[in-house]
Amino acid sequence: MMTRWQDIHQMLGAMDLFRNQMNSMFNDFDRTASAGQGWRADDSYPRTNLSDSGDNLELIAEVPGVNKEDLNVKIQGNYLEINGLRKPDIPEGYTVHRTERAMASFSRSFTLPYEVDAAKVIATLKDGLLKMTLPKSEAAKPRQINIQ
Amino acid sequence: MSENEVVARNEQPAELVHQLPAYSPAVDIMANDSEIVLHADLPGVLKDDISINIDNGTLTLSGIRRLQSTGAPTWREFADVEFRRTFAVPQSIDVNQVHAELKDGVLRLHLPKSEAAKPRQIEIKAG
Repeated sequence: MMTRWQDIHQMLGAMDLFRNQMNSMFNDFDRTASAGQGWRADDSYPRTNLSDSGDNLELIAEVPGVNKEDLNVKIQGNYLEINGLRKPDIPEGYTVHRTERAMASFSRSFTLPYEVDAAKVIATLKDGLLKMTLPKSEAAKPRQINIQ
Repeated sequence: MSENEVVARNEQPAELVHQLPAYSPAVDIMANDSEIVLHADLPGVLKDDISINIDNGTLTLSGIRRLQSTGAPTWREFADVEFRRTFAVPQSIDVNQVHAELKDGVLRLHLPKSEAAKPRQIEIKAG
């Protein structure tokens, strides 16, 4: 009986996949503007990921459609603030049928787990993702301790 | 089921079925007399990972976004996703003239209307 477990597992996996495909087929077809993201509080745009890579903190933020000039980043110690403006890019003379992308100014601030050296921060904006490498200040870097 | 048969079976590990969460991108749809324009938010998706499919009145837009993971995550608010959304498009779209560009994470898709569908002023002859 246990030798058949692999087969059952495989079949259930395939059924899961099939069920998810069926679900998304019904949900997505030409649906009206969803409140699917509505559960997210308004003060958490843009969405971000923070990673810790030893010497640096890396922050990635989703900011599609924002120009470099319209984006401001402020850093002080372990306080990071991102604010910006998303300008509408509707071409002239067109009738608007549906608007789901919010064109507004946004601002979000974070308390980072470590203090960072503001002078050495590198930030790049590419493909609508803002990637920032924030080097930790000297005192916060991990250090090897020798045990005597 | 004989003893030999059970022993002789080749065990293959079950394939893990990984599925990326599917997320509908936000879109703006605009139109004028000569074309329909669709702008979709696809942050972090590369040109090669997007596929736009028009078939028999249905437009399917899909793309995969994979993040390069760097270091140990402290918090994650977005992850690898598959963007997917389907629309019904009027039959009067000239499929050969559809063009799209991707810039700053925004996909701009232009669907020109075919000549027959453009609005025309009908002249009334005095009779």
